[in-house]
Amino acid sequence: MGGAVAALVILVVLPLMSLLFGSVRGEQGLSLEHFAEVLTGRLYVTALKNSLMLGAWTGLFSTIIGLTLAWAVSRTDVPAKPLLQLTATLSYLSPPFLTAIAFTYLFSPNAGLINVLLRDVAGLPWLTFNIFSMPGLVLVTVMHTFPFVYLLAASALQSVDASYEEAAQILGAGKLRTAFAITAPLVAPAVLSGTLLGFVNAIALFGSQAIIGLPGRIVTLPTRIYALFDYPPEYGLASALSLVFVLITIVALYLQRAFLARRSYVTLAGKGARLALLRLGRWRFVLLGFGIVVFIVSILAPYATLIAVSFSKSWGLDFWKGLTLANYKFILFDYDVTRRAILNSLLLATLAASGAVLLGAVIGWIDLRTRIPGRRLLDYFALIPLGLPGIVMAVALIQFWLALPVALYGTLAILLLAYMGRYIPLGVRAANAALRQVDPSLEESAQILGASWLTTMREVTLPLIRPGLFAGWLLVFVPVIQELSASILLFSSSSITLAVAIYNLYETGYIEPVAALAMINMVIVSAAIWLATRIGGGRILGRGDAAHHAAPGTGT
Amino acid sequence: MAGITIRGLSKRFGADDGSLAAVADLDLDIKDNQFVTLLGPSGCGKTTTLRLIAGYITPDSGTIEVAGRRLSSPQAVVPPAERGMGMVFQNYAVWPHKTVFENVVFGLKLRKLASAAARQKVADMLALVNLGGLEQRYPAELSGGQQQRVALARSLVVEPGILLLDEPLSNLDAKLRERMRTELKQLQRRTGITFVYVTHDQAEALALSDQVAVISGGRLQQYGTPFGVYAHPANRMVADFMGLVNLVPGRIRDTRSGLASVELAPDLTVAIAGIDGLAVGEPVDVAIRPENISLAPAPDPETLAKVTLGKVTNHVFLGNLSEYEVALPSGPVLRVQTHPLQQFKLGEPVAITIDATQCSAFPRIR
Repeated sequence: MGGAVAALVILVVLPLMSLLFGSVRGEQGLSLEHFAEVLTGRLYVTALKNSLMLGAWTGLFSTIIGLTLAWAVSRTDVPAKPLLQLTATLSYLSPPFLTAIAFTYLFSPNAGLINVLLRDVAGLPWLTFNIFSMPGLVLVTVMHTFPFVYLLAASALQSVDASYEEAAQILGAGKLRTAFAITAPLVAPAVLSGTLLGFVNAIALFGSQAIIGLPGRIVTLPTRIYALFDYPPEYGLASALSLVFVLITIVALYLQRAFLARRSYVTLAGKGARLALLRLGRWRFVLLGFGIVVFIVSILAPYATLIAVSFSKSWGLDFWKGLTLANYKFILFDYDVTRRAILNSLLLATLAASGAVLLGAVIGWIDLRTRIPGRRLLDYFALIPLGLPGIVMAVALIQFWLALPVALYGTLAILLLAYMGRYIPLGVRAANAALRQVDPSLEESAQILGASWLTTMREVTLPLIRPGLFAGWLLVFVPVIQELSASILLFSSSSITLAVAIYNLYETGYIEPVAALAMINMVIVSAAIWLATRIGGGRILGRGDAAHHAAPGTGT
Repeated sequence: MAGITIRGLSKRFGADDGSLAAVADLDLDIKDNQFVTLLGPSGCGKTTTLRLIAGYITPDSGTIEVAGRRLSSPQAVVPPAERGMGMVFQNYAVWPHKTVFENVVFGLKLRKLASAAARQKVADMLALVNLGGLEQRYPAELSGGQQQRVALARSLVVEPGILLLDEPLSNLDAKLRERMRTELKQLQRRTGITFVYVTHDQAEALALSDQVAVISGGRLQQYGTPFGVYAHPANRMVADFMGLVNLVPGRIRDTRSGLASVELAPDLTVAIAGIDGLAVGEPVDVAIRPENISLAPAPDPETLAKVTLGKVTNHVFLGNLSEYEVALPSGPVLRVQTHPLQQFKLGEPVAITIDATQCSAFPRIR
């Protein structure tokens, strides 16, 4: 208990407090000058406007794409549903800054391959597309955020039992009327909640906003905060701007929770919901075509491009004439910075995932299995980082640790703290979900047979929650490997990470090695997913499920 | 083997003044080798009582002693692991990641029994509960009834003095429930272990128990043999909970040598025994079970004076018996159960006879 509290205080509470303090610390004593500056200064107001605009457009297009795909998969007879589901899953997993980099290879105004093709080969200059623009930024971001709407909308659509719709139809409502009067209101809260999640995630992405936005002179909140750390660093302004950022995020997340809470009546029908699939006739191929376009834009094009670039000597129209492994050799063997970055990221991701899940398990256990006063509070504290964009976390950590005599800044340790702090909510959620599946009576029956607390944990609780903890571990490991938003402010040349190395290489114009490093990143992520499903999944998972079904409830 | 003595036991849930008493001032003596049922509607506090006996919960006041040893008091609670009891949960709580053998042998391992001896004991116990040959199965590969028996075997193999059972049959289908009921009863007789059994099913309680403790609102309402509790309920709640009952308003006309004459209708008076503290003229409710009322065809008008007449207003055929609703001329309607061959028509006048020895009277609640 004490350990968990201390960990949360150090990881989350104290850094946040130093952020608050830093934002009101003026030349002499407390002052609101930083807030005045960030709320009126042209640079900051523009960044705020751009962020909100980016979030709004991304939210809108995420909803259009996510809802369409979710509806197609859940309620129609569209063919190739697995492909559509895969598209959403992969888009969710693939880091948006890699998509952004891939798109610059294709659509940068002068050298982008497709732009060159259109202008110089096809002679259609009016068809070229400049990726370094707001539409370009929205495009790249949407490819990462539409899965939020997809996942929430699909689960809501799948839980609307056909009998609700049939009840409307027998009263005389047509199909369209039913869709608008019955189905739409039932799933609207879930869809809106997905939209807001898309919004929150979109505005927090440093990588794509730096890669696409900065060349196009579109400065947003994360890139503006980043710029404030150019020498001399403006801690006060960065803190104030960070808090404005947090406020937007928290308001959106609050609305999201409120919408999601209203969803409860959809799940009443439970898993057994009977679904009526709409027969679309020829239209189903139109829908499939739409899905395929999304697949091409979000998965196929970026990854095919990255693979092609990673093997080419020089990226351009005739790249296929000079295929080579030199890029891989360079980043893996010749260039010590990238090699170090890969090892650092592997180490940090392993430690952060283990730490977050372990801490999550302790917090979850305290919350669900004890009656210690204040256990709810512990749970809430562990959820705070959900409202903190990565770069804000970094600003908070820098100020907190710079104020202490411990020289943590620029070490792997501060990165580890940032990752654990950022992803502790995922650890807590995974552990919570796993523990909820284990009925307390399973532990109690070990106790009454004479088992001590330790024996009960070792023999009963841990084996049963292991699959859930593995899933949680993976859920933290994958984003940490490719974390950029917080790392970009916290790294040093010795503690450089994979994502930072990719970004830096890109910034310095090493086009081809960047792609090779991006591919290494994808290999690591795929290997982690494969490994975790092999170890954590399978038989144990099946039995864990059975435990859930065999333990339907508690007594009176 | 051991008896349980509970004195003044109370437990409230919720932190503040708005807290709810789950168990209030409970006194209960459970004798050695008995099958005792804690019976009551859901939320009555019976499961809380069981969990207090098991040591999962600390009482707010009162004590629990087993064989003279104090196990629970507000100051100190011997943890479940050191009580030497067994418990079978409503959801069985069979560990899904362990085989049948591993589940059952768990308690023996904790007791450091040599593995050959443990193996033998597990085999014997599994044979006793008809699970021989299923040692290597996982719970997910067993039916609900089989899982239930694994839970039983796991609890019994360590030879507890007391076995606590929390609605162990409520997740089984009706036929299996009846069979397991018989098996449980036989098991208790064979092992001589004290069984404390929680249920909300009065039929189950009547069929299984040596003693039934009826609990409602956290309080003990009545403690006695199944017949005693059924035939002579201590109050309205018990009468109502133990099965179908007519609660007919009446008034005490006079009391003589332990019998009270209660007038239910102008021409219907019953003499009821054992109603202390009720005064003449007091309004009461009389509890009459449907099977203690008999109906007969209305006799000739000449002999009418001696019988009470009612009118059949409804009839439900239930297979092994028939249920009639009979309206008295003064208003009240009685539910009556008769042999299915005894048939009356709707609207037909019938003569009513009530077996007063099986009736009880309670003060009317205003």
